[in-house]
Amino acid sequence: MDIFLQQLLNALSLGGTYALLALGLAVVFSIIGLINFAHGELMTAAGYVMAFALAAALPFPLAIALAVAAPVLLATAMERVAFRPVRGASGTTLLLTSFAVSAILRVLFQNFISARPVPVPMPSALSGVINLGPLHLGIIQSISIATTALMLIGLTLFLNRTVAGRAMRAASEDFAIVRLMGLRANGVVATAFAISGLLAGVAGLLWVAQRGSVDPLMGFLPVLKAFIAAIIGGLGSLTGAVAGGFLLGFIEVTLQAWLPEAWLPYRDAVAIMLVIAVLLFRPQGLLARKTVLKL
Amino acid sequence: MTLRKTLSLTALTLGLAAPALAEDLTIGLATAQTGGLAPYDQPSLAGFEMRVDEINAAGGIAGKFPIKLIAKDTRSDAAQTALVAQELVDAGVQIMITPCDADPSIAAGMITQGAGIPAFSFCATTPTLPLAVGDFMFGNYPADNVQAAMLAGHAIEAGYKTAYILTSPDSAYTLKLPQYFGQAFAAKGGTVLGEGTFAMGQQDFSAEVTKIAAMDPKPDVIMTAAYEPDFPAFVRQLRGAGVTTQVLGSDGIDSPTTFAMGDLVEGVVFSTAGFATEGSALAAFNAKYKEKTGEEPNTVYIANGYDLGTVIEVAVTKADSLDPAAIRDAIASLENVEGVTGAISYAGTMGMPLRSVSLVRIVGGNRELVTQGVPAPEEVPAP
Repeated sequence: MDIFLQQLLNALSLGGTYALLALGLAVVFSIIGLINFAHGELMTAAGYVMAFALAAALPFPLAIALAVAAPVLLATAMERVAFRPVRGASGTTLLLTSFAVSAILRVLFQNFISARPVPVPMPSALSGVINLGPLHLGIIQSISIATTALMLIGLTLFLNRTVAGRAMRAASEDFAIVRLMGLRANGVVATAFAISGLLAGVAGLLWVAQRGSVDPLMGFLPVLKAFIAAIIGGLGSLTGAVAGGFLLGFIEVTLQAWLPEAWLPYRDAVAIMLVIAVLLFRPQGLLARKTVLKL
Repeated sequence: MTLRKTLSLTALTLGLAAPALAEDLTIGLATAQTGGLAPYDQPSLAGFEMRVDEINAAGGIAGKFPIKLIAKDTRSDAAQTALVAQELVDAGVQIMITPCDADPSIAAGMITQGAGIPAFSFCATTPTLPLAVGDFMFGNYPADNVQAAMLAGHAIEAGYKTAYILTSPDSAYTLKLPQYFGQAFAAKGGTVLGEGTFAMGQQDFSAEVTKIAAMDPKPDVIMTAAYEPDFPAFVRQLRGAGVTTQVLGSDGIDSPTTFAMGDLVEGVVFSTAGFATEGSALAAFNAKYKEKTGEEPNTVYIANGYDLGTVIEVAVTKADSLDPAAIRDAIASLENVEGVTGAISYAGTMGMPLRSVSLVRIVGGNRELVTQGVPAPEEVPAP
């Protein structure tokens, strides 16, 4: 029983990070139909800023603030430079553009920063344990769960209570009508990218806190997981992305915990098979929008 | 045979085309300067180039064979490595250097083996690499089974009776090294209680760590060849689950990230290719490197690449010829070449060098030498 509860906490923490990442992808996809594969490089950027800020002996809160601000700026810059010129082009064009942006950023990191991982010395206070009876919860794990919850609440409030948020929700339903209403398309799209940058920054810090270093290729795997999570949840649906993230986290931890030893090397294959099973029954994903997808 | 003829013809044509005064030794570098292997190949190349510059400044190998390098990026891709290797063979190289991983090295080795050109992997550690390719393939780093034997010897000496090994089937290194450790540990009377697995790069060990925490009886020591980002994530989560069991690692964690982890890695022991004791050749090399580049060498791969330059220098001097087959025979007969990381021998091996392994303990964010040397051949598990 204890082990079950412990694994449940583990799943919650991993699923939360996936949820944040999937949400970042979904926010942009729901509006301009782009799966931004350069999302992972936004995480990497957050990690590098954190590493350099800590190396420059800046206070920890300031380092975090800078590390979260950097991907927001980078995401908006990305939108302005790379994605605005191809806005409205076919899904394939958008997808390839995002691959190109991702590859360029990775090579820039590799050649101008370092191919070797750069250490991010997190304060040792973060490596402690909270004991809840028989359960052990790492401080980073707890922060991860709490941050995910805060971000989700904050984003829900933003989307429901502010004009910009409502505009974004409306745009995800029907962008043309939103423009007819007199809202500036560029503003809405830029906001979407800024939010996805914020989500990537927070997820990036949580990711880096676990691994203690940042390297140029770090972003690839998490963005792949986020992509899978967004697909399970139903591309374009924000709640779906969150649900998909948590589901993927639960599937992975459950399989790792209870698959027979001999099967463990195939854990990812089994996980992907379960995802395919979900899609067989719900081809549009768990919580898909009713409209036809643009991809 | 025809291929060899074509090659010598190509070399001849090149020799005629270039206004070369002396006879150049052309070394082809099919190594990864971008992608996932760049963290290992880039520093290896930096060290290697430093040695080559020194040799050329002294008038070339044995004063008559200046070294010419042709470097091409393989982008850490095995297919691209084979392509690049073919281009370099066509360009007439006499020695090939391949990336720090067995898979691309085998891909390139298939081509150099066919062309009869000796090839070295910068720092691949898989002991079966030369066996998979042939007699023209050599390693340049202490092999996995040698590192494992040293670690097992240490574990027994430290009084550990039981061990748990954590492997990943995603690479030969992360899978086989802990298994070699298990074999060597069992051969010396230890017991392996279990083997856990992880997927590389996913950095979520929570489920695996929960299993370890629930083990009864607990192992005395946990051995893994996980490296960045997996190793830091594993140790963080292991300690986060309240498990204080001693952890043994391998050379993959010899990186600044590990040393930046503070209390989490206190007491961790790992194997690596060299330790700069005061007054040692490695310490002198590190000082020289710092003087030249202005930076502390942050990894032993730099010194390891530097030593490869010395190995080639000694081999070509011994062969006294630029004929690739003569160079191969000379490499295979090398004994106790004085490198900055210690003595290097190829004589009597199957292509992986016999060279010193250092065991290092992390104490207060610094290195402390546990032991260094070459394990007795009978203690090394068969590849």
